[in-house]
Amino acid sequence: MEIDTQFLKGSISLLLLHLLSRGELYGYEILQEASRRSANAFDFKEGTLYPALHQLEKKGQIKSEWRTAENGRKRKYYSLTPKGKKTAVAYERQWQHLTGAMAAILESK
Amino acid sequence: MSTADELIHNVVTYSQIPSSRRRREIQRELTAHIEDFIDAARDAGHEEQEIESLLMAHFGDARQVAEGFSHVYRGERRTFLVFAYALSALLIASSLLIAILAIQTSLAFGFGTSISELFASKHTVVQALDIVAFVAVYLGLTSLEALFVRYRFQKAAILLAAIGAVLTLSFRCMGYHPAFLFYGLITGVFFRAVRLFVSAEVARVGIVLVCFGFAGFGFALLRSPVSSVDLIATCASWLALGMGYLLMSRLAPRVDAAVLNRLQQI
Repeated sequence: MEIDTQFLKGSISLLLLHLLSRGELYGYEILQEASRRSANAFDFKEGTLYPALHQLEKKGQIKSEWRTAENGRKRKYYSLTPKGKKTAVAYERQWQHLTGAMAAILESK
Repeated sequence: MSTADELIHNVVTYSQIPSSRRRREIQRELTAHIEDFIDAARDAGHEEQEIESLLMAHFGDARQVAEGFSHVYRGERRTFLVFAYALSALLIASSLLIAILAIQTSLAFGFGTSISELFASKHTVVQALDIVAFVAVYLGLTSLEALFVRYRFQKAAILLAAIGAVLTLSFRCMGYHPAFLFYGLITGVFFRAVRLFVSAEVARVGIVLVCFGFAGFGFALLRSPVSSVDLIATCASWLALGMGYLLMSRLAPRVDAAVLNRLQQI
């Protein structure tokens, strides 16, 4: 099922922080990981990922480092900062609360 | 230029990020991403031409991605533009002040009028403030015009007049009488209008000579009694001022663009 981009816009920070909470990743890996874990439901325009990552970095929630990958290519790896870890936990709680409340409304008769 | 290069170039260009270091980093990051995408597409058995269309479809519109970056770095861009504007205004105003004072000094020598009066601290300070105000208004107009699509000059002039009114009130509250602000607004708007609405350079020169000649004549008559030498010297001084301003109105946008371009390279 295709997801409305407006839904995605609101949840992209949570998505990125959550994916990075499992370990450091570079841009292309983040997309692959999101696509794999969501069974291809998260199929958003790839270019829009980078402004979102830069925004989180500017807020101090993630940090980046250029490193050479196994195939010799240089890639920018992103990882969570302590502030980002706290934000990820807070966002996840808010999301659970919101989706729980929304599910209750949608399922009510 | 390949499709991928063009895509990255467009993102970086449209994003209007002031820092060249950051632009290069975004370029490297997007290049790495596209290389990974192309490798994956090749591994999946896609043809080269097919890969290009897949890339365009998956990556998204360059302008949309650039808007995302532009939004993230909007604070830096604003600071940079204000800094570039202040630097351009300072550079142009100081060059103009030096040029006008040099012309006025030679005129004063020629007419045998008092050099000490010309370089009296009050006269120099007033003239410097007038020139800075004029340059600030002129560059402010050209910068603000970029914000509008229609009636750009008129809207920019109204906006600048409003800013001028607020500044004048603030100065008055502090006990100062900022006549230079009013002077800067009038001369700035006048020269911008001449530059925009009069196409022939000869006509522009003519308008400035007539207006500044009359202004000089009027100001000289305010001083009574006035000798004929003083009258001619004041008119000539005002004409030099007017021609200096006209030259500045021609050079200022180029200097401003050069300063902006140079700062972006740093």
